[in-house]
Amino acid sequence: MTNLEKYNQVFMETFDKAEDELASYKYQDDAAWDSVGHMSLVAALEDAFDIMMETDDIIELSSYQVGIETMKRYGVEL
Amino acid sequence: MLKYDRTALRTYSMLGARGAFGLALNELAAENEDILALSADLCSTSGLDRFAQNYPTRFYNTGIAEQSLIGIAAGLAAAGYTPFATTFANFAALRGCEQIRHYMGYMAENVKVVGLSAGFAMGMFGITHYGLEDIAALRSIPNLTILSPADSTETVKATLAAAAHKGPVYLRLTGGMNNPMVYKEDYTFTIGKAVTLQTGTDIALVGAGTMVAQCQKAAKLLAEKGVSCTIINMHTIKPLDTLALDSLLGHRLIVTAEEHSKIGGLGAAVAQHLAAKTAAPPLLTIGTEDDYGHAGDYAWLLQHHGLTADSIAAQITDFLGV
Repeated sequence: MTNLEKYNQVFMETFDKAEDELASYKYQDDAAWDSVGHMSLVAALEDAFDIMMETDDIIELSSYQVGIETMKRYGVEL
Repeated sequence: MLKYDRTALRTYSMLGARGAFGLALNELAAENEDILALSADLCSTSGLDRFAQNYPTRFYNTGIAEQSLIGIAAGLAAAGYTPFATTFANFAALRGCEQIRHYMGYMAENVKVVGLSAGFAMGMFGITHYGLEDIAALRSIPNLTILSPADSTETVKATLAAAAHKGPVYLRLTGGMNNPMVYKEDYTFTIGKAVTLQTGTDIALVGAGTMVAQCQKAAKLLAEKGVSCTIINMHTIKPLDTLALDSLLGHRLIVTAEEHSKIGGLGAAVAQHLAAKTAAPPLLTIGTEDDYGHAGDYAWLLQHHGLTADSIAAQITDFLGV
């Protein structure tokens, strides 16, 4: 599985979304990505890529697209 | 469905005790229509956003009226529901004390009061919002079970246990977001049965709430000095697990640690039990002094009141003279 597939998998499993819905998906677009869902997403990303995210990055992770850039800063090639 | 895998436990930790409680109650509500949530104007702060959104007819905001909060919850309990009434710990225990005494103590209604942000977690909100006397105020009320979970995962388990328990419960939540993790895998939580996290020979550390994680760190510091520690997570303050305490009598020193006044809390409960023993080791109680001090941020307050691992270890070595 590529890193992008793993990244997509985290979003799909955390928020019960289809892959073709991810590109424009943002925080609070629906009930699933609320504050609780946000922490679930962070924990799942940390687990998937064996990283520990800083608080500022957790706060700034506001969309699927922003998350890609965030992961790159942690050395995850997407 | 609530999980206890690595990702779930990390999520609970990041959410903190309040968020983990709200998540657990939301899941409970899906399985049990009798579960209700009440708040004295602290819906989001109680971690109840999802609950209120998913079950709007089962969520009640009483406004800033804690005595009514407890009274309404008691009425709902008398009608067969299982209400969880939430507000900051000091407001629940002090403003609602008489209602807790009458409805939960005397009438033993099946109400679960959740004391949010007990101890110093409210930080810059100031002393009016600190919960330092809640255990002392409530421990003498008959029929009341008092739970003080050690981390966010235990908060989830304690919430489920409180719901399953037939009778009044006070659930005391400590710490902020990013609560230190005491538990890194699933375990069994039973009301009234303390958890031995580590077995040692010299010192017995008995902690509750956030102080359990601090005791774990203090034990590592003490181990570097050749002091071997047992660590007990006394998650149930009442009824106290006296069998667990009796198993500690062979240690050189018993230490209690709590984010609460030294007067009337866990340390006092342990002291009362040990006082009847003919051969018990000395007891060092660590908690806040009989003084409020100054307001400040959470980390500073723990340090200022001697409730960090460094300070706990230092207080113990000072006591022992090592």
